[in-house]
Amino acid sequence: MASNKLLMLKSEPLGAPTRGAWIIAAIIIALQLALSAGLFAINSIAESAQGRQITDIAAAEASGRGYTQLPDSAFQPGRLPREGCCSSNNLIFRTTFTADDAALADPAILIVSAYDNALIYVDGQLTAGVGRAEGPPPNMGRLPQLLRIPRSLVDAGAVVDIAVQRDVGFGHLRPFYVGEYTALYSSFRALTFLRQDLPLFNAAIGAFVAAFCFCAAPLFGARGLMLSLSALGGSWTLQHVGLYLTDPPWGGVANNGLYFLGFLGACVCLPWFFIEWTSVLARAMPKREPFVAFILDPWQAPARRRLAVVSLCMLAIGAMLIAWRLSFDPAIASQDINRVIGWLGLLAMTFCLVRIIAFYMRPGSQDPIAASAFVFVVLAAIADISAVRFLKTYGVFLGAAVTFFPLALLLSLAFRARGIFEAATATAEKLNILVADREREITRNHEEIRRNERAAMLLEERSRIMRDMHDGIGGQLIGLILQARSHKLSGESLVSGLEQSLDDLRLVVDSLEQGEGSLTGALGAFRNRIEPRCEAAGVELDWKIEDVGATPDVGPDRTLQIYRILLEACTNALKHSAPKRIAVSLRRDGNRIEIALADNGCGFSDGAPAGRGLANMRTRAQGIGANLDIQTSAVGTRIALTLPA
Amino acid sequence: MSQPSPCARVAIVEDDAILREDLARVVTHAEGLEIAGVSDTLAAGRTLIAPGLDVLLIDLALPDGNGVELIREAREQLPNIKIIVVSIFGDARSVVRAIEAGADGYLLKGAGEQQAEEAIRSVLGGGAPISPAVASHILNRMRERASSQRGPGPDVPLTEKETAVLTDLAKGFRYKEVARLHGISPHTVADHVKSIYRKLAVNSRSEAVFEAVQAGLIKLKD
Repeated sequence: MASNKLLMLKSEPLGAPTRGAWIIAAIIIALQLALSAGLFAINSIAESAQGRQITDIAAAEASGRGYTQLPDSAFQPGRLPREGCCSSNNLIFRTTFTADDAALADPAILIVSAYDNALIYVDGQLTAGVGRAEGPPPNMGRLPQLLRIPRSLVDAGAVVDIAVQRDVGFGHLRPFYVGEYTALYSSFRALTFLRQDLPLFNAAIGAFVAAFCFCAAPLFGARGLMLSLSALGGSWTLQHVGLYLTDPPWGGVANNGLYFLGFLGACVCLPWFFIEWTSVLARAMPKREPFVAFILDPWQAPARRRLAVVSLCMLAIGAMLIAWRLSFDPAIASQDINRVIGWLGLLAMTFCLVRIIAFYMRPGSQDPIAASAFVFVVLAAIADISAVRFLKTYGVFLGAAVTFFPLALLLSLAFRARGIFEAATATAEKLNILVADREREITRNHEEIRRNERAAMLLEERSRIMRDMHDGIGGQLIGLILQARSHKLSGESLVSGLEQSLDDLRLVVDSLEQGEGSLTGALGAFRNRIEPRCEAAGVELDWKIEDVGATPDVGPDRTLQIYRILLEACTNALKHSAPKRIAVSLRRDGNRIEIALADNGCGFSDGAPAGRGLANMRTRAQGIGANLDIQTSAVGTRIALTLPA
Repeated sequence: MSQPSPCARVAIVEDDAILREDLARVVTHAEGLEIAGVSDTLAAGRTLIAPGLDVLLIDLALPDGNGVELIREAREQLPNIKIIVVSIFGDARSVVRAIEAGADGYLLKGAGEQQAEEAIRSVLGGGAPISPAVASHILNRMRERASSQRGPGPDVPLTEKETAVLTDLAKGFRYKEVARLHGISPHTVADHVKSIYRKLAVNSRSEAVFEAVQAGLIKLKD
């Protein structure tokens, strides 16, 4: 079953893409582009906050969790955005309000970087804040913060301290903004959407893909393909779920561990999935030298199980590395792992891009629906990684791609299956026509054989009847004619001779009529042939016929021979033994049938004139494969014919 | 019978002149039988079928058609007529066909005068002559029809007793012997055989209708 499905998915001749496939591919691309554009717009709103951007800033590390007003000398000047900011994560950023700030009607500060614990002090006085005062700080910050400052406190030159806390350091630190609350709000909302709503949405899609593919895997021949996609979806979900576990009771290990594991999983599963897809659906390549084949395509069908194992091993080893790292550094203060995995992901993406483009450039592999999904996913992933790594902004495109990825994939499979069903239907029709033709031919042949058999049977039957006529009635009639010509024939003997001939003819007719059914009926009909003779001789006929059932093997030919033997036996008895009674019996003994004619006459010796008649009977019995047993004594004779039936 | 007649009126339809004359002689000589008419073709035989006819002796192989047709017509026109088929061999196939058309018995051609007269008297007296061959042929036909997927099965199936009687007759047992075997009178055996003949005719008609419907010759409305 599995192999059938695999064959089904392989679908060697995919044929040119249909119009429908192109249209669906175009719709998918259009939707992806629209969503990407939407996300890009939201991201732009997030990036272009309507306020004064604070890029020049001084930062100091707090000694503990609380806020202590530090002297200016404790602060190090810096410029935002800044990468690899700080060794500790209890930070205080210091800046001053300007005259423009003092003119604001409803001043507010936007903290773009993800800090869930943030406090703002103006001239050493707490003016605004968000987050937890007690307990451990959030592990990874998740949300931007927009904090209102009382207008009376915003004076030009006032010192602003922004104290933030989280357990994990930054890849890069984003600028702060000071401006009107309403003007900054749209950026704040956009950032909240990108960091809180979109990940939830993506996690849901990832979970759906993971569950669907995992459940559907046994139904497809290409289990590796489905499982890899499921693992990919799972990784995607894990990564986003990880982002949410910043607060107790989860803490650092769960938050960091799941996030990095999800990230690593995506990096490993993506190439795994693409290799599966391109290999499963690849057309058979011409036979090559195994080594050459391996160099050209190390992921051929037999090796794909190993690929799955290797992928899972990589995941396991990666997970163990992350776990080891977390065991002594739950905060993972430096961003080494993130960086390493990021590069790994970029490498994987490049590999996938090359492979998928090469795959779809091969003749006969055009499947615009799948291609649209794949190329977009890969491009979006590269764009996102590049954006995060080089442009220091948030990546948003992969989210759009992932939304349509499973949809496009399912549509592609559906199209593929439809094409295969159509091809199968056409093949089945062709086969049906072929079978019908064959059937007709066979019927014709069969009929011809039957006709021939019938003709042969009729011919045999005819020649048998001719032989019978020749042996019996023909000879008798000729004898009568010859005798009549030489005037040796009395009227009486002419009549008896003719009667005998007619009797013989009736015997033949009876044998033809009764030979098809049962010996019971055949012998029943025979009674009319011998009873008149017995009556004429004043001999009582004792008729002991049992029902022996159907005897299909005893045809007209054998029936006639049995008749002749019995007639001969009867004639002998009447002529030579002078009995008072003749008994004819028929009975079945297992698969043998016994027909016997017994008289209570004086018996006969072998030397008597009956000898020729006996020899005749024996010959006839032999001819039909029957056994003839003759017992004769002074008190009677019994002639028994035994035959298989 | 509408009017009591001292003599049974017999019509003979036989194309062979010698046999015809032989039969005519038998009828003429026999006490209580008289010739109503003699013909050598089916067409001429039709004119003989008229009220007051008691017995029809008919050959099956006639120059202008099969005697079975005339048997059917005669049975329809004169329900009480006794019809006897004259046959050379008394072969089951043709005799059974004649019985299905409505014949009451058969007579072997070339039988002695006495035998022929007895056969006619026996049928007139309500007898139903049957040969073992005919009996076994009827049995086979009934069996075939009962097991046939194609046909409707016999409308009027034989009773168990009738089948038993027929089976023994097919084995070659005479009326008397059958009667003794079953503990009934020979007359009852004859009654059974007549009943069998009637059923055969009825079944044959329904079978003909069935086959005609199958062939699309007749359309039945539900």
